[in-house]
Amino acid sequence: MLLKLAWRNIWRNKRRSLITLAAVVFAAVMAIAMRGIQLGTYALNIRSVVELFSGYLQIQEKNYLDNPSLTSSFIIDSKILDALKSTKGVVDYAPRIYADGLISYKDNSRGAAIFGIEPEKEKNVTTFVQNINSGKFFTSDSSNQIVVGDQLLKNLDAKVGDEIVLLAQGYDGTLGNQKFKIVGTVKFGVQELESALIFMGLKSAQSLLAMGSKVNVVAIKADDLNHLEEINDQLSSKIRNSNIKILSWDKINPELEQAIQLDNVSGIFFLGILIVIVAFGILNTVLMSVIERFREFGVVLAIGMPQVTLTYLVYIETMLITFIGLVAGNIFGYAINYYFILHPIILGEELKKLYEIYHFLPQLKSTLQVSIFFNVSLSILAISLASCFYPAYKVYKLEPLKGIRHT
Amino acid sequence: MEILKAENLVKIYQDNGVPVNALMDINLTISKGEYVVIAGPSGSGKTTLLNLLGALDKPTKGKVYFETENITLKEKKELSKIRLHKLGFIFQAYNLIPVLTAIENIEFSMMLLGIPDKVRKEKALELMDELGIKELANKRPNEMSGGQQQRVAVARAIVNNPSLVLADEPTANLDSVTAGHLLDLMEQMNSEKNITFIFSSHDKQVIDRAKRLIILKDGRIENQ
Repeated sequence: MLLKLAWRNIWRNKRRSLITLAAVVFAAVMAIAMRGIQLGTYALNIRSVVELFSGYLQIQEKNYLDNPSLTSSFIIDSKILDALKSTKGVVDYAPRIYADGLISYKDNSRGAAIFGIEPEKEKNVTTFVQNINSGKFFTSDSSNQIVVGDQLLKNLDAKVGDEIVLLAQGYDGTLGNQKFKIVGTVKFGVQELESALIFMGLKSAQSLLAMGSKVNVVAIKADDLNHLEEINDQLSSKIRNSNIKILSWDKINPELEQAIQLDNVSGIFFLGILIVIVAFGILNTVLMSVIERFREFGVVLAIGMPQVTLTYLVYIETMLITFIGLVAGNIFGYAINYYFILHPIILGEELKKLYEIYHFLPQLKSTLQVSIFFNVSLSILAISLASCFYPAYKVYKLEPLKGIRHT
Repeated sequence: MEILKAENLVKIYQDNGVPVNALMDINLTISKGEYVVIAGPSGSGKTTLLNLLGALDKPTKGKVYFETENITLKEKKELSKIRLHKLGFIFQAYNLIPVLTAIENIEFSMMLLGIPDKVRKEKALELMDELGIKELANKRPNEMSGGQQQRVAVARAIVNNPSLVLADEPTANLDSVTAGHLLDLMEQMNSEKNITFIFSSHDKQVIDRAKRLIILKDGRIENQ
């Protein structure tokens, strides 16, 4: 009966209840749509960046992240291979070696960041192989062929087809040098990177650097960003090697993670303001509706209704409005987010250029991540409960006689 | 058997810092089954006395005993229980809950007692039939006349079989014929169910039908 009473009380003043309802719906829709676009775009950008080079996850020697040197390397044994093949969510993996070296062409010498890779495997894990600017990418079997950064080629004053000499300190401390032919250049849009990058076949790199069959990193592509924790746990439990670490993209790209966190905080702050504004709206309506009914409340208290029950009634009324508003808000929010998944917002030229520098796709896309709907609903519900506290307290403190005499 | 006893009751209000003596040294005893009218001119303290007897207000001095229990010192929660279980109230302005139908208004206090839905419905209908208002069951207060609303209010007041019903100017908003019918009804409840009634009124019709009359003047009992 209390529920029935609360429901009818809500519709006593239809206009006021509808305005409150509209405020809750508006807050829920705005929050869901904004968070959807924010988190959807983060996911898009993360995918774009990790798929360019780092991978979703990496298997590394335990010290490699802090000290990326040749000695921080490991052999991909059968245990690691089995784990990679049997773990659900692992799309593919690509082994890599990284070393510093010196590249020389005629009188020009430049510092180089040498990456030993398997292009065929990389194609299934990352997209940088597609960033070929001129020439072509070598195949995994080809030896003595390299692809260099576009700017490095210019700095060396060389061209595709020229032969260069690479000098690098090997795993055993000896200096290795070898001739390579430039077969292509890559362009990422980051000049700093392009002025040092060298890609060569994994086997060539292992030979140049006396690495044997060791690698520094295995980059992994996962089927979904949300499955990384699960994949990480599974791989760790299957590999069980204390010399090896499995790191997700946020640990490998801390700058990206921090940039997203910063933007995320500002987004949450803005949502907080929106929800607080709605909370004041709810407080105002509930307070008005309570004060208007002081006389009626006085009567029911005189009849013997416990103060606590009457306070519940005020809460039930607020919760009913909030609940209806949240249901409607979630439905509309879902529809909006779904629309922006199908039709992402394409950014204009200026922003597009800025986004491309960071290897982000120049678009804003939404997501239907359940946590958005859950968190927004919970926040609005909590703030409604909080905003109801003062009116409910007034009711709790109401004396029957004061209520009856209220005009 | 004594149901209510007031001992040296004093009620002093503060009106903008000025003390107003609403009731002075009231002593009275009411027995079970009595039909009492507290009469007196406006401002004589009728409603104040009724509120003190009905545990709606606390005296400045003195004690009120309900069924031999001193209720003046009781907590809000306990007073609320006494009002729910033992007392019934009828107000001048009927004060039905506007969003509930007549039957739901009558059921309301039973709901507070935790009586199951089906039982309270049956009991409410039975009582409405007894009071001749069964046809009003599904009407809301705004669809009923003043007299009808006050009958529903009477039903609400007596449905939990209270020991005592307090009625504050129950006929003030009714025409004399309707008021007469309402008084018939309450007299009937008094004699048939042995419910004690205490009225506060300055309505001649109510006063004329009092079985016991207490007259207040300037906050003191002039005659009882």
